[in-house]
Amino acid sequence: MFRTHVSVKAIGRLSGFIQMDPDFTAWRKLAGLQRLTGKVRWKSNTRPAPVLTAAPVRALVDEQVSIRGHFLPLHCPVTLHARMHSDEGDLWESFAHYNADERGTFSLTRDPSVGGSYLGCEPMGLFWSMQPAPGGREGLRLRKKSVESPYTVHVSLLEGHVSTSEGQWSELAAVTVERWYIAPGVKRIEINQNGLVGTLFIPPGPGPFPAMLDLWGMGGGLQEYRSSLLASKGYVSFSLAYFGHKDLPGPPNCINVGDSYFKAAFLLLQDHPQVVSDRVGIIGLSFGCYLTLRIPTKTGVKPSCLVGINGPVGSTVSLLNSDGRTKNFDSSQEFWNFDDEGCVIFKDASLPANIPPDKFLQVEKLDCPLMYIVGEDDLSTASIENADLIEERLRSAGKSHLLTRLSYPGAGHLIEPPYSPSARTSMWSVKPKKLITMWGGHPALHAAAQEDAWKKILDYLEKNLRS
Amino acid sequence: MSLSSPPPILSVRPSRALVDEAFEVLVENLPPVSPFTLRSLHHSEDGDDWEAYGHYFSDHSGRVSVSEDLSFGGTYSGREPMGLIWSLRPVPGSRTGLRLRKKDVTTPMLITISLYNGHEDFRDNSPLVSMVTERWYMGPGIQRIEITDGGLRGGLFIPPGPGPFPGILDLWGGGGGLLEYRSALLASRGYICLALEYFKTGQMKSTDLSFEYFEKAYHVLKDHPQVIPDRVGIISLCLGTIVTLSLVVESAEIKPSCVVCISNMINKSPGKTLSGFHRSIPSKFNKIRVDENNHQIWRDVGLALLKEPSMKVDVAKINCPLMLVNGCDDQNWCAVETADDISKTMNAAGKGHLLTRVDYPDTGHLIEPPFSPHCFAGNFFVYSSNEKVIQLYGGKTKPHSDAQDDSWRKILSFLRHHLYCSHKAKM
Repeated sequence: MFRTHVSVKAIGRLSGFIQMDPDFTAWRKLAGLQRLTGKVRWKSNTRPAPVLTAAPVRALVDEQVSIRGHFLPLHCPVTLHARMHSDEGDLWESFAHYNADERGTFSLTRDPSVGGSYLGCEPMGLFWSMQPAPGGREGLRLRKKSVESPYTVHVSLLEGHVSTSEGQWSELAAVTVERWYIAPGVKRIEINQNGLVGTLFIPPGPGPFPAMLDLWGMGGGLQEYRSSLLASKGYVSFSLAYFGHKDLPGPPNCINVGDSYFKAAFLLLQDHPQVVSDRVGIIGLSFGCYLTLRIPTKTGVKPSCLVGINGPVGSTVSLLNSDGRTKNFDSSQEFWNFDDEGCVIFKDASLPANIPPDKFLQVEKLDCPLMYIVGEDDLSTASIENADLIEERLRSAGKSHLLTRLSYPGAGHLIEPPYSPSARTSMWSVKPKKLITMWGGHPALHAAAQEDAWKKILDYLEKNLRS
Repeated sequence: MSLSSPPPILSVRPSRALVDEAFEVLVENLPPVSPFTLRSLHHSEDGDDWEAYGHYFSDHSGRVSVSEDLSFGGTYSGREPMGLIWSLRPVPGSRTGLRLRKKDVTTPMLITISLYNGHEDFRDNSPLVSMVTERWYMGPGIQRIEITDGGLRGGLFIPPGPGPFPGILDLWGGGGGLLEYRSALLASRGYICLALEYFKTGQMKSTDLSFEYFEKAYHVLKDHPQVIPDRVGIISLCLGTIVTLSLVVESAEIKPSCVVCISNMINKSPGKTLSGFHRSIPSKFNKIRVDENNHQIWRDVGLALLKEPSMKVDVAKINCPLMLVNGCDDQNWCAVETADDISKTMNAAGKGHLLTRVDYPDTGHLIEPPFSPHCFAGNFFVYSSNEKVIQLYGGKTKPHSDAQDDSWRKILSFLRHHLYCSHKAKM
């Protein structure tokens, strides 16, 4: 039943070298050799292939999937290889080594990976450890553009402990899994009215529902995937574009909207017939976190709770002010640092010590609960220092009870919904010159942080918006 | 609008599942110890509305869990995690004789689950909260290929991966047409499955099928590069069981590894065609009874035919494992008596060890994949007289649904044992 192949070790011996723990490029060369020497395989027609199962095969991205293998030879070494295409067509993949037990089965919820893209018992490791496939574009970051279709992940079971995906000669079994950012029945509504640009997600059912305003950072554009997930949990959710979107006014590289824009977005939610007006919160990452703190302190709206992730309390980035003036974002480059490979590290630009005092938000004016999440390896924002500053200011104002602070060692800047690959670096800009930025974060620790933070965020929203 | 009380939270997990998978319906944030009704609603492909509902009381923490709590009435009662699906029935005022069957297996069934205040007059209120759940027959990555070569009409379903896979030929019954949902589900469980149409609905008279048609279909499976040629089985229901047993006994080409026959019939057509088989049945139409609703009961037709030895497939010649699944309350055919007859013949021929039998009490004729709504009586087109009648299929909803759930698991286990592996590997 088992496909034989000219084993890599055999080729190694023939070629006069053996590597026990080859690095990735060496394995690719060996695989090329295998193709040249040809494949020897036979298919027995008396026994079926081993079986790979996943349950559930269709799930929301924050739901766990249980992957198991059956009908393998006892104690057989196998490799699981997961691959999928992003909306832009890039191939992402991961692999892990397992050993079948004495009954010829293995289970990712029970057994440890002994090699590959992750180690140890990680039920969702195949998903969060994915990396762009070799030979692809550089500086990639995985973000779902079209939330109404799922990611289709093809998971293969390969014979032996291998590190390459080239060729299908050793595939024993496969299963396809769909990962969804939206639950059935959630409505997606594009908003482009009264100057507001964004996307509204409404859960199924009559409502009324609590609501969340969802803000991202200076990467710009319109990111819908966290909103669609929140709507799948029962919150009306509004992803708002404020920078770098074709439907927004003014020159690029400037934020051409002011405080009144964000106030209008909050009011759109509050006044929506299916929203409970006194149960509206705000969530923001990076500069979106700055806005999350700015909106209640500057515009007079009263959110029920705030969730801020890795964002500054003060910023030299200007919104459109009342005189109609804006400032070009790129001009504030004095605190940019570069590593040996020319990757830009933005962190120092948000160190409180580097910000003029008049640019700080008056967080002591906050009257609602705030959850502030810190990735301790954040290289984009000085999150720890900003968290300290918030803590100190709230304490001085006798408002410590409002703050919940979560801090994750080894986690980077981009703390996003769980079980998705994280990027330690990614392309920041291509013009005027190509810039790659460092986000920080070590894969396994960052993945654990995302899983824990998301659970805590959902519990926090439930406590503050539903009871 | 401001909040007077916290809104209830309704969750269905998983929200997307295969039709034979269970889900958990949970409601939280309710006022304590109050009456509520959970209702499921489905708009079918044929345009009919189906509903099910259960009456519950929230506990002191304001929670209702369909998996754990009792339903105090509705279309189901007691502790029934999947009651909202299997007790679905046409809403009052619908057309009669309906049967819920999915034609397009590439899209899911959408079911809206809503929570209402109260029990008796819950429909007078608007729902408090709703969720939508998707129920799929086809897993992701399953390929569906239309088979039209050589005059065949069928749908082939192939799981993802290189294989090789065992194969299954899937034959339905007297309703005719091409029904793919059981095949899609079996493919999602790891088999290459061919759903075969052997006559179009209402056209049994014009069907004059020789064994060759089915042998061709069997070869589509057997010769498929991803199918293990000596691991092909057959699953069939009702009229399909006659076809299956005839082929297994008399066709030189068809030698399956195992066979599943649900709701058995045994009446043989003379010779190597199936052209005669349907003609024998009208000869006993004088045995049709009707119930108080004018629904036709055909089981005595079968009993009469059973008494004629020349009209039976010679099951003594069967040489492969055979699983018989029948409902004791089958009013459409004498399935249990047929199975008794088959047992007797096979035991006498020393083939009793090949036979597995499961008979389910209070279960009717249409034993379908789990959580399918129980069809107690349905529209049927009688080919010989060109009339549309309502046939009684029998069964009581709760036992019938339990039988569907149990028989599916037993069938999957039987198929796995004979087509995958014979050692006791747990899946």
